[in-house]
Order: sequence, then C-alpha cells, then structure tokens
Amino acid sequence: MSQSSFLNRLTAAFAAPQRPSAEPAAPTASVAPDPLHEAALERLPDPVAVIAAARAGGPEVLFANAAARTLFGAPHRRIGLVNLIRDPGVLEAVDEALFGRIEARSVYEAGGAQDRVWRALARPLGDPATGPRLALLTFSDETDAVRGERRRADFLANASHELRTPLASLIGFIETLRGHAKDDPKARDRFLGVMQAEAGRMSRLIDDLMSLSRIELNEHITPLGQVDLTLAITDVVDALTPLVRQAGVALEPSLPPVGAATIVGDRDQIVQVIRNLVDNAIKYSPRDTAVRIVVSADVSAIEAVTVRDPAASRFSLLDPDRVEGRRYILLQVSDSGPGLAREHLPRLSERFYRVEGQKSGEKLGTGLGLAIVKHIVNRHRGGLGVESVPGSGATFSVWLPRADGGQVGAP
Amino acid sequence: MNEHIVRSYGDELKQLTSDVARLGGLAEAQVSDSLDALSRRDVALAKTVIARDQKLDDLQKEIERSTFRLIALRQPMAVDLRHAVAALKLSMTLERCGDLAKNIAKRSLVLADAEPLTPFSRSMDRMGRLVAARLKDVLDAYSASDLDRAIAVWSRDEEVDEHYNSLFRELLTYMMGDPRTITASAHLLFIAKNLERIGDYATNIAEVIHFELTGEEVASKRPKLETLPT
Repeated sequence: MSQSSFLNRLTAAFAAPQRPSAEPAAPTASVAPDPLHEAALERLPDPVAVIAAARAGGPEVLFANAAARTLFGAPHRRIGLVNLIRDPGVLEAVDEALFGRIEARSVYEAGGAQDRVWRALARPLGDPATGPRLALLTFSDETDAVRGERRRADFLANASHELRTPLASLIGFIETLRGHAKDDPKARDRFLGVMQAEAGRMSRLIDDLMSLSRIELNEHITPLGQVDLTLAITDVVDALTPLVRQAGVALEPSLPPVGAATIVGDRDQIVQVIRNLVDNAIKYSPRDTAVRIVVSADVSAIEAVTVRDPAASRFSLLDPDRVEGRRYILLQVSDSGPGLAREHLPRLSERFYRVEGQKSGEKLGTGLGLAIVKHIVNRHRGGLGVESVPGSGATFSVWLPRADGGQVGAP
Repeated sequence: MNEHIVRSYGDELKQLTSDVARLGGLAEAQVSDSLDALSRRDVALAKTVIARDQKLDDLQKEIERSTFRLIALRQPMAVDLRHAVAALKLSMTLERCGDLAKNIAKRSLVLADAEPLTPFSRSMDRMGRLVAARLKDVLDAYSASDLDRAIAVWSRDEEVDEHYNSLFRELLTYMMGDPRTITASAHLLFIAKNLERIGDYATNIAEVIHFELTGEEVASKRPKLETLPT
C-alpha cells in the first residue's frame, strides 16, 4: 500500500465519526483504519498532522499524532489549525499544499521556555476531484543544528573575553618574575600566590563554561530518573560542611521526610543546582548568620511565584510553560546578606553579569553559577525566581514538577 | 485569501476569530523577526519585516469590514456581540504591534551600519523574548478562550517594565560615557520603548479577552511601576 493511499484511508476514518450528519460525509468513510498503520503513525517520534480545508475559519486539523498533540498542546479533535499554530509561514505552506497542490516548507519556532526550532513540511494529500482537500503536515526537529551553531559562537565570544583578564595578569607576573623580581624571594612568593589564584580562576571558569555548554545542548531533552530532593539536599549540606565552617555560617535546612519530595530529574544536575544556590548564599552571608534551605513539597505554579514578604521585590528569571493542574516542589534558599537592588534582578542569570560594586576577584565567582542553575531548571521544566529586600537578604526559589504529577514530557 | 464561501452566522463568527488569530500570528512573526534582524544585523530580514507590514494592514481592514458587516446584518447580542467587538479591538491592537515591530526593523537597518553595541544586544534580546512570549501567551489564551491564562499575562506587565527601566539606565550611562555612541544608543532606547509598548498591548489584549469571556471589566488595578527611570 502506498503511503499516501494509506493516509487517505486513515484520515477518512478519523474524520468520519466527527462529521455532523448534516454535512456531506467523507467519501471513504466506510473504510476502517488499519490498526497497525494507525498505531505506527500515532507513535512516530516526529509530529504528523492531517489538515483539511474547511468552509470557514481556515484549514482544520483532522488528525494529529501523539507528538503533534504535544507540540500543538491540543486535544485529539477537529479544530481550526490557526487556533494551534499562528505562524504565518506554516499557514502559508499549508495553504499552498491544500490549494496550490504543491509541496511547501517553512521553519517553525514554537516559542515557549524550551524554544525549539522545527522544519515544517506540507504536502498535498488525496485527490480534490474525488474527495476533500487534504494536506499532510509534518515537522522535524532542527533545534540541535540551529542552536548548536549559535551556541558555539556565543561560547567562543564569552570564553575568550573572560579568559583574557586572568591570562593577561599571568603574563604580566611571569614577565616581572623573569625581570626585576627574579632575585627577590619575598616578591616571588607573593607573585606565585597571585598566579596560582588567577590560574585557579581560569580553571574554574573553563569548568563552568564546559558544563554550561553541555547542559544547553541537552536543554530540550526531558531528563529520566527520579531524584529525592530531601536526600539530595542532605548530601549537598554534608559536602559543604568544611566551607560552611570556614565562612562561619550555619546551614538551616527544613525539609520534608524522605520520599515526600520526589521529582523527575537528573541527579547530578539537581545536586549542581542546590550546590550553586547554597554556595552563593554562603558567599554573601555575613559571619554568624544562617542560610535557610526550605522545601515545600506540594505547591501550584501560582503559589510558587507568590511573594512572601511584602517589602521584597520579586522577579522570575525563568517561568515554565503552563501545564494545567501540574504541582511543583518548591526549594528556597535564603541568606541574610546585603540583598539585591530591584534593578539588578532581571539580569541576574545573564552570563558574567555582576552586580555593580561587587568585586569579581574577592568572591571567587565565575559569573556563571546562576546561568547554569537556570539552564538546568529549564531542562527540568521548572521555574526560577529571586526575591530580595536590600539590606536584609535575598531568597532564590526553584520549583520543579513533582514526579507523581506524571506530566513531565508527553502528556 | 482562500476560497471561503461563508454561509452561516456561526461560520462568520468562526471566520472572524480565525482571522484575528491569523493576524496575531503575523504580528508575532513581525516582532520576533524584527528582533532577529536586530540581533543578527540581518538587513534582508529587516526589509522583509518592513514589506510584510502591508499584509497586517490589509488583514486588519478586512477584519474591520467583516465585523461591521456582521454587526449590521446579524445584529449579534450578548456573547456574540462581545466576540465581534473583541475581534475589532484586537485587530487594531495587533496592527499597532505590527507597526512597532516595523519601526524596530527600520531602526535595525540604521544600527546595522553603525559599530555594534555588544553590551546591549543580549539585554535587548532578553527583553524582546520576554515580550514575544507574553504576546504568544495572550494570543494562545485568545485561541483557547482561557481566562486564567489571559489574567496571568495581565497581572505580570511589571517584568517588562523592569527590563525597560534597567536598559534605560544602562543606555544613559553608556551615552554619557562615550558621546560617539549616542546615535546608536538613542535608536536602542526607542527600540526598548517599542518593546515596552508591545508588552502593554499584550496586557490590553488580556483585558479585552477578559471582557469577551465574562462581560465584565477586569476588577482590580493592574500592578504597575509608578516610578519613571531616572
């Protein structure tokens, strides 16, 4: 059976029961779909839809397979195409296939938090002389190719810019050591110390850049596996004990019992999120204060963005796409540091963004920590927000979908 | 457009809604393409955006005509009347969004000739994506008749304002630091303002959707930054 005649039968069969009896029935309505072919089409990894011309309101979606329903966020029923995809390029391609009877292509950027890029292909289907005007609309994922290119360019620009400063200082010290400081043991020791710190900074920067680019490449792939947040946080708290002692800061976790806060996720990445947030909080905490780590095991998307302190300014650095009824686990890390002024909040997760007056050398940061957190959380379909009262501390919130919400990935 | 043979009242209303969605799609594409043209210094894309503005104007006039025809001939009541009025208001707002995007594209042509102001391309891109996402959200809410989603857009205009204020302050500092950048910075300032206006239009659209679905004005006052950037 040729592919197109199979699709014709299939669409006819899908369309038939949904057609009101007053309208002309589909010509091949009596043909039942071959269950194997139907199942195969339904389970194709790429989105596939069959589109029909309609009397009013533009073309309608007759059939959409599981991947297409995820892409459109649409129920499995007849609906106007323009209600699902407004992109003029895709609509034109479909019109060309339906009415011009020629194959047409377009690039479709679905928008949303994961920001994927698709290549849409519309092909005429069936014979308009004998049946309804139909078109086959398929999508293939081009995200990797397109984003990979852009990311490589960004990575190069960022990395070269940020590595130049410590490298310039290393070169300067080496010159001095070969020159007039050659026979001055005191100066030599001091310079070697600075050089070690600068080299360490370069090495941390390279680690962070590498891990950021790795995370970004997987960003639109939903993670597998389950992570218990309580256990993960306990591990991080244990690992940070020496650092905490050195900084003279106390960690105060307030966690639900083991098993009550499980998310779908990549354990290593989740640990990195917690670690970066707690690290930051410790860095900005004055001595003899506490960093609070609070987990609320069951909140809605609205509750997750609710400001708790009326004096605080709040900003969402990342908002997950809305999914009806999805429940989240909320992790909040608060410090009692200097806090952040309102105007810095929107830019905190930008790479290498540093709050004015914050000396980059002193706090040992690479300026990439929050960018890493943001990309990991985005991969996990979660959200990231910051709340701050200047002078009395900042709270970073991460909310991640509950594992038993069961809605991560395909609906 | 295509071979529409509009028959019933229901079909006419359906056609109206889908035309508004189509116009929304065009407006979205204008906004995101103008931003791409700006960030990639893509002159050809900017020219495409400028040329495509005519399509939005035509479709808006078409929607206006069919709304008037519908109101005159069918004399819709209650929900149907609200649908028709919403379509009219939305089409005007979306056409305005398209105009602002066209303006961004025009300015991107000027900026493509100047030295790139790299520190701002990222912030501008961010603000642009935020605004585009809000426009997408509110149009999704319109297509799905989803009141909650519309309200979510309506109540969060503040974030766009934050971005605008932050960019405003930065650009000012930049211009003071190096007067040679004033021309380019001034264009960027207008682009930021345009984006901020598009964000405002998204909230207006949310208000229209609220009225369309409930028949009532949005009750509470929108959270708004009262202070102007200094």
